[in-house]
Amino acid sequence: MNQTGLDRWLNTIGAWTLALLWFLPLLYAVWTAVHPSAYATRFDLWAPLTFENFANAWAAAPFARYFLNSFLLVTFILIGQFILCTLAAYAFARFTFPGSTVLFALVLLQLLVMPDILIVENYKTMRALGLVDTIVAIGLPYIASGFGIFLLRQTFKTVPKELDEAARVEGAGPLLVLWRVYVPLAKPTYLAYGLVSVSHHWNNFLWPLIVTNSVETRPVTVGLSIFAAVDQGIDWSLINAATLMTSGPLLIAFLLFQRQFVQSFMRAGIR
Amino acid sequence: MNFIKALSTTVGAAALSVSMGSAAQAVDLQFFFPVAVGGKAADTIQELTDAYVASNPDVKIDAVYAGSYQDTITKTLTAVRGGTPPQLSVILSVDMFTLIEEDAIIPFDGLAKTDADKAWMTSFYPAFMDNSMTGGKTYGIPFQRSTPVLYWNKEAFAAAGLDPNIPPATWEEQVAFGKKLTKRDGNGNVTQWGVRIPSSGFPYWLFQGLTTQNDVSLANDAGNKTNFDDPAVVEALQYLVDLSTKHEVMQPGIIEWGATPKAFFEGQTAMMWTTTGNLTNVRTNAPFDFGVAMLPAHKRRGAPTGGGNFYIFKDSTDEQKAASFDFIRWITAPEQAAKWTIATGYVAPRPDAWETPAMKAYVADFPPALVARDQLEFAVAELSTYQNQRVTSILNDALEASITGAKAPAEALKEAQAQADRVLSEYR
Repeated sequence: MNQTGLDRWLNTIGAWTLALLWFLPLLYAVWTAVHPSAYATRFDLWAPLTFENFANAWAAAPFARYFLNSFLLVTFILIGQFILCTLAAYAFARFTFPGSTVLFALVLLQLLVMPDILIVENYKTMRALGLVDTIVAIGLPYIASGFGIFLLRQTFKTVPKELDEAARVEGAGPLLVLWRVYVPLAKPTYLAYGLVSVSHHWNNFLWPLIVTNSVETRPVTVGLSIFAAVDQGIDWSLINAATLMTSGPLLIAFLLFQRQFVQSFMRAGIR
Repeated sequence: MNFIKALSTTVGAAALSVSMGSAAQAVDLQFFFPVAVGGKAADTIQELTDAYVASNPDVKIDAVYAGSYQDTITKTLTAVRGGTPPQLSVILSVDMFTLIEEDAIIPFDGLAKTDADKAWMTSFYPAFMDNSMTGGKTYGIPFQRSTPVLYWNKEAFAAAGLDPNIPPATWEEQVAFGKKLTKRDGNGNVTQWGVRIPSSGFPYWLFQGLTTQNDVSLANDAGNKTNFDDPAVVEALQYLVDLSTKHEVMQPGIIEWGATPKAFFEGQTAMMWTTTGNLTNVRTNAPFDFGVAMLPAHKRRGAPTGGGNFYIFKDSTDEQKAASFDFIRWITAPEQAAKWTIATGYVAPRPDAWETPAMKAYVADFPPALVARDQLEFAVAELSTYQNQRVTSILNDALEASITGAKAPAEALKEAQAQADRVLSEYR
């Protein structure tokens, strides 16, 4: 009894310490963003509050349009990935066809290749398709996600065969079985994967910068980059205001859906 | 046919329309530019471009912000290899050899038709042209060019009993002044350092100031042999390391570039070495009286130049090349160069820009702007070799190893020289 009490106590302290460490940079970002830049490295509880940094950051680039672009981009990628990865994962999990192991190995190989290496090849492809400087071009190379296919295949494999067979006995075709049996059972995996995908593509910078040229197609990260001007020294207040602004939607979404996310990760992990 | 053309121009994005050609026979140009000095610079470039287009209705210019210098070269090379290069771009002057090796750019010489064109090409400061020409041809036109200078806090000088109007002129004075300026609290912690020479990211640039002052060059003009293990180079690095370890007038370890102006404003250092690109920033934000001086001399005065040049890309039509040439000639003309300098602090790259009324008024109001120009007389080209990225990163690693105390300067530089030899031997 005593042993577990101490244990729990230590656990709580450990969790709080880690949480605090994780939270410190965010705290600093909030502190600097709402104070004049003179207070960026000086702590004074009564320093004057200001929202000027946010106003300046917002004015420095067409952020309203960038937000819309980022939103369209992650939505497009997520929908595309869900459809493509689901179908591919289903094929790999439940059908045997000639060369399926080799094909699956090729899909896994994709996990080993750094996307940055493929920038020139991807660019050539997008140009051949006539898609340079479009939101579709930013997302297209990521739609056939090897990670997504792998994750969903593993999840589908854990679905009991009996459920599949029962549905077939009822007269359901393969696609209906997928839709009625597999997809609902893999919901936690979809949620977890969706979170990773959205945050990754919301934060992606180099590829969008390279493949787009106009305000109408560029995401928020490109807007954010104009604050990282080393030649002039970094204005922490401004850059933190801009960072909070651009990561705000993701933070809010995470806080809102936090319970679902944590649960989905736990369930996805247990299986 | 016309319908299809019009349709595809509308549907296709800006990049595509370049190759389509629209009904009005306008020349479309795509222009990539990096920004290294904050949001205002991008606005100024857009303003200048718009002004040009307004007076030249037959030319359309799509000015595309392309990130940092590093992002811009990546974006440009990707577009070149992908078959849709921009028509013109601002890229670091030291990337000239890289762009030539990629066969991406053409020299300006072939595009200069009239005597006035040719005269324009020789109207820039020679120090800036060192990095813009090779094999007798001009591949780059100086635009956003800079050079490092010394900024000092006059109030801190007065408080330390120094004449607030006299900056250190030599290496020895820099140490002597630094010792007076370094302040410690009761526990021996430093509250104000004497001097700050940033060393993160690209330490070779300011280090090249030290080697030039020690009268040695880091590489030959052909860009295929380095002198990293020259005793004078070792001596320069020893001086840099000694500032922290022996004389204790500079914060030890790697010093951040980005945080340097802030440290100066906050009084954490009484002097700093940094680029003239910071001039406008320091002028706006320093809460005290400050001075700007040339870097301290040793055997001679010296500093590297830096920053970006205009390049014209090969894979465009003759009309596009001619239009690019004309635009670059216009944007580097005295009035535009003056406007750009006043907005950013970059050094106007030609003498006659300093004679314009706007520039004269600016300089009269703010004499420190002249320091960088006057230093050009002593300036040398920024370190640039074949395989430039690899060679400079070899030197950067050696410098960082010495600054952090992992290796002695002589040892680190000897190893760097051996590595650089291996990379460059095939270009000899």
